Order: sequence, then structure tokens, then C-alpha cells
Amino acid sequence: MIKSYKFKRHLANGFIYLFLIVMGIIWVSPFVYLLMHSFNGDVGGVGYQYLIPRKWSFQNYIDLFSGVGGNASLNYPRWFLNTFIVACFSCVISTISVLMVSYAFSRLRFKSRKKFINVGMILGMFPGFMTMIAIYYLLKAMGLTKTLVALVICYSAGAGLGFQISKGFFDTIPRALDEAATIDGATKNQIFWKIILPMSKPIVVYTVLTSFIGPWTDFILAKIIMGDNRDGYTVAIGLQLMTDATFKTQYYRQFLAGSVVVAIPITLLFLKMQKYYVEGVTAGGVKG
Amino acid sequence: MTYVEYRQLNPFQRFAFNFKKFISNVPHAVANFFKAIGRGIVKFFVGIGKGFYNYGTTFVKGDWATKLSYLIFGVGDFSKGKYYKGILFFLVEVLYILYMVFFGWTYLKDFTTLGTIPKHTEPDGIFEKIVYGDNSMLILLYSVLTIVITIVVFAIYIVNTKDAYKMQLLRAEGKKPTSLKTDIKDFMDGKYHITLMSFPVLMIGIFNILPLIFMILIAFTSYDYQHMPPGTLFTWVGLDNFASLFDVVNNSTRARTFIELTEWTLVWAVIATFSNYILGMIFALMINKKGIRLKALWRTLFVITIAVPQFVSLLLMNQMLQSNGAINILLSYITGQNVEIQFFNASPLLARVTVCVVNCWVGIPYTILSMSGILMNIPEDLYESARIDGAGPVKTFTKITLPYMVFVTTPQLITQFVGNINNFNVIYLLSNGAPTTHKFYQAGYTDLLVTWLFKLTMDKQDYNLAAAIGILVFIVCATLSLIIFNNSKSMKDEEAFS
Amino acid sequence: MKKILAILLAGMMTTAALTGCAGSGGSTADKGNSNGETKTSESTGKNGVVDVADFGDEDNITLKVWAPDAAVKITKQQCEAFKELYPDKKIEITIVAQGEDTAATQMMNDPDASADVFGFCSDQLNKLVNAGVIAKCAYADQVTAANTEESLNAGIIDNKLYCYPETTNGYILVYDKRVVSDDQAKTFEGVLKACKDAGKQFIMDAGNGFYSCIFTFTGGVKLDGLEGEDNDIQKFTDYDEDTAVKTLAAFGKLFKDYKGTFTSLDVANISSGFSSGKCGAGIDGTWNAVVNEKALGDNLGVAKLPTINIDGKDVTSISMFGYKSLGVNGSSKFPRSSQILAYYLSGEECQRQRATEIGWGPTNSTVNGEDVVTQNDMLTAINEQSKNAVAQVNMSSTFWDPMKNLGNKIIAEEFKPDDTDAIKKLLDSTIANIRDE
Repeated sequence: MIKSYKFKRHLANGFIYLFLIVMGIIWVSPFVYLLMHSFNGDVGGVGYQYLIPRKWSFQNYIDLFSGVGGNASLNYPRWFLNTFIVACFSCVISTISVLMVSYAFSRLRFKSRKKFINVGMILGMFPGFMTMIAIYYLLKAMGLTKTLVALVICYSAGAGLGFQISKGFFDTIPRALDEAATIDGATKNQIFWKIILPMSKPIVVYTVLTSFIGPWTDFILAKIIMGDNRDGYTVAIGLQLMTDATFKTQYYRQFLAGSVVVAIPITLLFLKMQKYYVEGVTAGGVKG
Repeated sequence: MTYVEYRQLNPFQRFAFNFKKFISNVPHAVANFFKAIGRGIVKFFVGIGKGFYNYGTTFVKGDWATKLSYLIFGVGDFSKGKYYKGILFFLVEVLYILYMVFFGWTYLKDFTTLGTIPKHTEPDGIFEKIVYGDNSMLILLYSVLTIVITIVVFAIYIVNTKDAYKMQLLRAEGKKPTSLKTDIKDFMDGKYHITLMSFPVLMIGIFNILPLIFMILIAFTSYDYQHMPPGTLFTWVGLDNFASLFDVVNNSTRARTFIELTEWTLVWAVIATFSNYILGMIFALMINKKGIRLKALWRTLFVITIAVPQFVSLLLMNQMLQSNGAINILLSYITGQNVEIQFFNASPLLARVTVCVVNCWVGIPYTILSMSGILMNIPEDLYESARIDGAGPVKTFTKITLPYMVFVTTPQLITQFVGNINNFNVIYLLSNGAPTTHKFYQAGYTDLLVTWLFKLTMDKQDYNLAAAIGILVFIVCATLSLIIFNNSKSMKDEEAFS
Repeated sequence: MKKILAILLAGMMTTAALTGCAGSGGSTADKGNSNGETKTSESTGKNGVVDVADFGDEDNITLKVWAPDAAVKITKQQCEAFKELYPDKKIEITIVAQGEDTAATQMMNDPDASADVFGFCSDQLNKLVNAGVIAKCAYADQVTAANTEESLNAGIIDNKLYCYPETTNGYILVYDKRVVSDDQAKTFEGVLKACKDAGKQFIMDAGNGFYSCIFTFTGGVKLDGLEGEDNDIQKFTDYDEDTAVKTLAAFGKLFKDYKGTFTSLDVANISSGFSSGKCGAGIDGTWNAVVNEKALGDNLGVAKLPTINIDGKDVTSISMFGYKSLGVNGSSKFPRSSQILAYYLSGEECQRQRATEIGWGPTNSTVNGEDVVTQNDMLTAINEQSKNAVAQVNMSSTFWDPMKNLGNKIIAEEFKPDDTDAIKKLLDSTIANIRDE
């Protein structure tokens, strides 16, 4: 009896392992393909006829960073640097904004707080790029178009609207802590910085992470803001430009290499921070 | 059911009960939602009326300084010794007047017509001389800016009059106004929310609300590819753009496109949400099953799709699904024949199925992540008591795990549904709407309303139509979300941990 | 040598203009115009050089030029030469890389932030004129005299010339000489048979209106300009429905007969197919000349499009043929200088230089008759094709998607070459949709 139960369980687990292995392969294989072909040293571009490259070389990466075999206007190292700078600045501003707003919504009680929360949610529901033309002209009026500053502003301006998850997290911190601190004479400001923030490592890391990744992946707003200024491009629009009809034939392999170069740091960062991500998401959502 | 009865239920019955209650509450929630809107409107007008009443009575009761602050900002505060506030108020007024005289009014005066003289050229020998005229776009944009600023200044004005009266009362009581230092201290404590919120709110105001108002207004103009300022002007057209989207009677291309794309968008949102949800749940259950090893490895394998930027993974997928891409090559290897399936360019059905399948590849990992967190959070004592009651693994699953997960993740499900209605990346990068058809106006079979909106904006410069679609998409999403969120536990039980 | 000559000429003209200008300060523009036509008519027409008086009172000039990546370097050189032509004027020119296909969209998004002189594809002209962001061509007479009629037609709307033709932009047949002989390359049947025998593909992007329009154009359904209130409805007049249907059927049949050989793929696959040995021939754009040559070297053959056999007769294939032109931004801060620069860059000398150095087919009639074109297989083939082509101009924006759809339908599994009614219906609906009815 016990034996057959065990056998059944082993059988079930075996099936699960099989399933997970097959699915794991399906999930990962596109990236393996990407990685392999970024090292493809064979001639030929887009419609390559072999699944596994016949010749291996670093040439695509060398070309990508030295700009050899191509145009000065496709300057990948520059794009990378731009994105990094924008990501750093907007990450700092966004994180601070998000934490401030969600702290205020979660811990402070003030008039029309609920209204603010509702308005915040409503604003988040308009299709984002509906407003891009207007944003462009606003930035133009400020003389900021085609600059990295404009990108930093765009990526961090609306950050405050993404308060839900961190608000959810702050809600879970017992209120007794605040009360005790207030009795000890701490101001709200001190409570925020000295008590709540140190306790909120997961959500801080989560917010930093998401706002840092944002600029690496946006390819719509940045393109409109940068216009013809290819030196100001970010990695995402730069890589998209490489898949443009004019460049695709010559730059497809470099596009693959460039994708790998962006994907690797972000992936490593993400995997490292995965724990915080899960904690952040579940803390904000689980409470339900 | 009374509270006592409720307490007597065993834990999983309680969950079943709560779940049932949630579902049966939905119609009620819808009704409440509309009631709330109605109440809001009433409140708004009552508020305005009250405001006017206060405004009048304060003036009547005010002393000379209070009365004067109705004309000159800050006099009330200044005369009572609160200098910094008085000066700030006064500065606001001066700046506002300067703004209006030198900038605001020049645009606002044309708000009703949106300009009359377009930029044109006059012959100048063989050359042309440019004669600058109006620019509808800038008129509209800066008018909106001016209106928003005016509202803000008006609010400051009201605060100023109230403040003046408050100061007057304070003096009558023989008290001294608070010093700057105390006020700053107060901003770090009692009014800390103002300190925290003002910067984000300012940014959101400028870069979200202002453009949004502008684009909403665009939906009522003729701003399209034939009316591009400064060369040509556009003007107000009322509801024409919405009418053209609903012009089913004449079977216009735009109306047909709108209706069919709306259908597909909803079908897509349902399929995408539930396929990810259900399959993701199955994956998560498998990975988190007791006795399965290497949990971290499995999770990592799937999570890579989240970590890699979507424009990389989806553009890659797009290339792999081309008729000469990796998938077809692989199929050719397997079958030994030359396989060239046109995933995106041939049949609409195949393209739609492909998009949905690839979306699973992208979306399931998100579900796995959040579900894993939730599964670990299910209180162990639930299972314990179930086991004591003699429930088998199947029963524990259907009676505890499933209801718990469904119940806990329902708000997330809605967020995902709304997210899928607006799922721009997957469609734009993967199929870009293909296969195209002549039946649709600037759209293909797999286009969602949002990608259509984008194409209209970027490829066709039909800003007005795009704005109208944006508004309609918003109405659907906002209604859905507000109903759910305002009735979900997380909003009601905000203070649960307090 | 020629450069020096140009500079000398310009120097002479400058002095002439200065002396001529000294007396009358007023109507300089008219004077410049008459100068250009009478005194220095010869040099003006040829080299794109004008009297310095044409600048009017513009000085301290800063201009931005958009050129596609392939032409950035050469445009830079040409702009330097341009500056040397007018030593009295302080001119600064920046060249910015911008694809010609997206130039119009960029222009329309924000004309103020766009280039003063920009290269664009002729089919976008309509859009630019409609939106009022492009200025009229100031040197219309000289440009008209110097360039081919087809290229000029591509720049005219309502009898007004809007742009300076720069180069041709079309597609031709490219083939691997080891697979397809020059003789076989003359007919579709020949090319396809050769490819089939060799087990290689013939690639044409039928799912793209730019190429699939061959199907209808060859059948006589051509574009006849625009009509309608807003001038955005495509005219189709004067075509024989029977011929059109027969042609569509013939192409569809060809595709069926040579299934597996006749493949519809993005043109980027041609060069990669050449290098991997999977592709034998294809219909490819002239802009891919460099990569194709890299892949095949001396084995690369080029020719005008092959003929197709319809009812036993070899019918010439008619293609879409575009032109790339230079336009002047209607919001330019230096409208005169921009016109003068555009005129120079589209002039004979610059066209010759581009034909020699980067293989751009000229539109200038003089250059077209010179060795640089006649001795070059590629440019000759382009020129021949341009004679059997419909100019990519005056096109409604609704053209591409229905045409793409038509192409996809013809190569689809379900297409039946014998079902005349269905083909007729397809043709009718395509035209109706292009006309947005």
C-alpha cells in the first residue's frame, strides 16, 4: 500500500520533472539562439539558414564597439553610456518620488487623500503614449528636446503614479511603531527616514530596480524626443534602428550582439534582486 | 450570517464563503460605482456653492486688510505681521499678471477659434518669404497651460482670502501669528504630506495631467494629417471624431475598424489574461510542489524572459517566426521538408493564435513569480486542519489552495486584464498588427486599439482620431478598475494592520 | 580639376555680383534671378552655382542637412565645397544622418527641429505638401532644364515643382551568374526555371506594396495622380480589366508553378541567400548593391526586370520607380541659403560625384549620358528599368496596405489562377480600398 503510494508519487514527480525540463528548454532556447548567433562569424544576415552557427567569432562584438564596417551615426558605446546616465538619474528621482508618495498615502492622514489615490489610479489608465506629442511640445517650450535631461524628466515625472505596490508594502508595517515613535517625540519626517525606510529594504530595492530598468527598455518616447539626434539615442532605440530596413541587412548580427550586451547586465541584476522583486510584488498584492 | 456563525466555520469554508461573497458583490459594486459618481457630482456643486457663500461672508466680516486682500494678495497676512506669507502671496499675483500679459493671454484669446491665419508664404523674387501666422497646436497647448495655471492661482487666491480672515480672527483673540521657523517645523510633521507630495504632484501635473487635458481636447478638433499646424490650422469639430468611429450605418472603414478591433482587443485581453493565469498557476504549483528539487533553478529558467528587455525578446521572436526564421528551419529539420509557415502574413487566425502563444511565453513567468510568493504564504494551519478532517490532496487543493489563490489574486487579475487591453509591446514588436487588410483603416488583424492608436499618431498623424480612441480605451479600463479596486479588500481593509 | 574650375567661376561671379549689386540695394532677388538666367546661365544650370546676390541679406548662416547614412560622408565633402564657393558668406553646415524613408515623418512631427535641407523619397511629397512643411523649389527653371522628365514629374504637385531631384530609387533583377545566364535573365520563366533546376530560390517581396505593384502595373493598372477635395484620392483611369486580370492570373500561376522556388521574402534575404548559396536570383533595390556585390563579387548579374509570358506574348514588367530628392524646409530660418544649398547639392557636379563614388544613379540628363553611367551595369539597368516604370509620386497614403494585401493574396495557397471572377473581385476591392471608398 505504502509502496504503491510512493511509486505513484515518484511517477507524478517524474512527469513534473519531464514537463519542467521540456518547458524550461522552450523558454530558454530563444535566448540561447540569440547568444549563439551573436557569435556567428559566418557571412549572411537576416535569413540565416543554420540553427547553430558554422563559424564562431567575436567580430560582431568588436564591430559593435569599434563602429567598424559601418556608420559613425550608429554609435553603440555612446548609446550605452547615455542610457546608463539617464537610468541612474531617473532611478534616483523616481525612487524618491514613489517612496514619498506612497508613504504619504499609507501613513499620513490628510484631507482628500482618497481623492488623490483615485486620481492617481485614473491617470495610470490612459494609454501612455497618447500624450507623447503634447509632452514633446512642452519639453520643446522648455528648450529641452534632444537632450538627455528631457529623458530623465520623462522617465521620472510620472513615477509618483506607481505608488500602489509600495503603498501596499507600507500598509503592512504595524502602526504601533509610528505611535511609539511619536510618543518619543519623533516628527513624521524622522519616522519616515529613520524608522520606516530602514524597514522597507525589499520595496526600496524593488523600486530602484524597476525604475533603473525603465530607460533601458523604452523605445517610443525616447525616439520622439531625440528626433534626428542619434548621438543622444538610448540603447533601445539604437538597437531598433539597427533592425530598420536600411540597416537590417548589414547590422542584424550587430543587433544580436548589442541585444546580448544590454540583456546580460539587466538579467544578472534582475536575478540577483529577484528575491526583493517577489517580496515587493507579493507584499503589495497578497494582502488582497 | 452572523459573526458568530462565521467564526464557527472551518478555515476553508470561510474562504469559500468570502470568495462567494466577493463574486456576488460585483453587480452591487457596479451600482455603487455609479451612485458614487452621482454623489461626487452633487458634492462638487454643493462645494462650489459653499465656497461662494464663504467667500461672501468673509468679505462682509473682514476688516480693511482682509477686504483689500480680495484685490491684492497677501495684504491680510502682511498687515498682521506674517510677512513671509504675505510676500509669497503677493509674488504669486505679480507673476501671474506678468505671465498673463506677456504670454498667457496672447494664446488664450484664440482658444475658441484656434487661430485664423495659417503660416503662409509670399513670393519674393524666385524665393518665398515666410509670413508667420497662428499655430493651432501651440494655441491649444498654451491655452491649456494658462487655464491650469489660472485655476491654481485662483485656488491660491481663495487660500489667501481665507488666511487673511484667519489672521484677523487671530488678532482679535490677541494671539500672535506663528513664526517662519514653527511653520517649517510643521511642514516636517503635521503637514508633512504637503512636503512629501508637492514635488511629485507638480511633476505629475506638468507631465501627465497637462498633456492629458491637451490630448483629450484634441479629440474634439480636426487635428489630422490634413490639418498640420503651422502650415494649416485645425479647429473645433465637436463630436465628429467619435461619430466617425461609431458610424456603423454607412459602414465606414473607420467604424468597421474600431468595432472589429474592439472585439479583438477584448477577446485578446480575456485569452491573454486567463491563459497566463491558469498556465502560470499550474507551473507555479509544479515548481512549488513538495518533493520537487532545484526550485530556484526552475524559477530562474522561466524568469529570464522577464529579465531580458521586452524589445529584445520580442524582436527576436519576431525574427524567429519569419517564414525563413529559426522556427521554420527547425520544423524543416524535423519534418525533412521545406517548411515555410507564414505566421504573421497569411491567415488572421494563425497570426492571432501565434500572438497569444508568444504572449504566454512572455507572461507566464510573471504569474509564476507572484503565485510562488502567494503559495508560500498560505498559512500551514489550514492544511493541518484539513488533514485532520481527513481531506486528501485533491480536496485540499480544490478547497484550500485554489480558493485562496483565486481570492488573493483577483485584484491582480483585473490589473492584468487592463494591462492586456493596453499590451502595446507584444503586438507592436511581435506582429506589428499583421496580417494587414484593406478592410481596416491603418490597421491589421492583430492590432489592438492601443497599437492602432499608435499607428494613427506616428504613421498617419491622425491625432484627433487617436485621441478619441484613447479616451474610449480609458473609459473601459477606468470603469473596470475603479469598480474592482474600490470594492476589493485591499482598499477597505487598509487599516487592517493598524 | 573640375572643382577648381567651379571655384574660379564662382569667384568671378562673386565679383560680378558685388559690382552689380552695389548700385541697387532694393530688388536683389529679381536681379539674382535674371543674373542666373542671362549672364551666367551656363554655369548656373550645370553646377548648381548661383549668384551670391541670391543670398539676399542672409549672413552668418547655419544650416542643417539630412542625408542617409550612406551619403553622409560625401555630403560633408560637397558642403565644404559649397562653402568655398561663397567665401564672403559665413556659412556653417551640419550634416545629420537621417533615413530618407522616415524623413517626412520626422519633418511633420516638428518642422522647426528638422533639417533645412533634407533628402526624402518622392512618394512622401504629397504628405509634405499637404501639411505645408516643404517650400517650393526656387530654381525651378534651371532644375527643370537639367534633369530628366521622370524625375521632375516626381516632384511636381499642382504644376509646382517642390524639390530638387537627387537620384533614382528603384529595384531591378539581381542574379547569380553561375545559376542564371544573361539570356535566361530576360524572362521570368527563364529565371525561375534556372533557379528551380539549380535548386535555389528566387526571392521577391510580394508582401510589400513597393514590389507587389508590379502585378497590377504590368497589367496596365497604373497610377494617374490624385483627385478629390483634399487631393488624397488615387486616380485609376484608363485600364483594361481583362488584361489586368489576366496578368494577375499569370503571376499567380507562375508562383504556383514554381512553388518552393518563387519565394516571397524580405529583400534583405537576397544578399544573405547569395552568400549562403540558397538564393539564385531576386528582385532587389539598388541600395543593396554593395551587400550583393560583397556576397557574389564578379558573379553578380544585374538587369532590368524580366518579362512575363501572358497569352504567349512576352510582356514587359512595369515597376514602381521612385526618386530621392532634396527638399527645403518651409520653416527654415535661412530660406534663401537653403534653396541655394539644395540647388547646389542636386547639381550636375554633385550628382556626378555621387554616381562615381557611391553608385547613386543620377537624374541629371548630362551625367546620365556620360561614361560613369553607361559603363556601369547597375546604373544602366536602373536607367532601363526607369523607362518601364511608374513614378512613385502623387500617391495616396492608402496605396501601400491594399497593395500589400493584393500581393499576399496572389501568392496565397488559396489563390486560383483560373477563377477570373475572384481575381476581378480582388482587383476591384484593392482599387476601391486604395481610393478609400
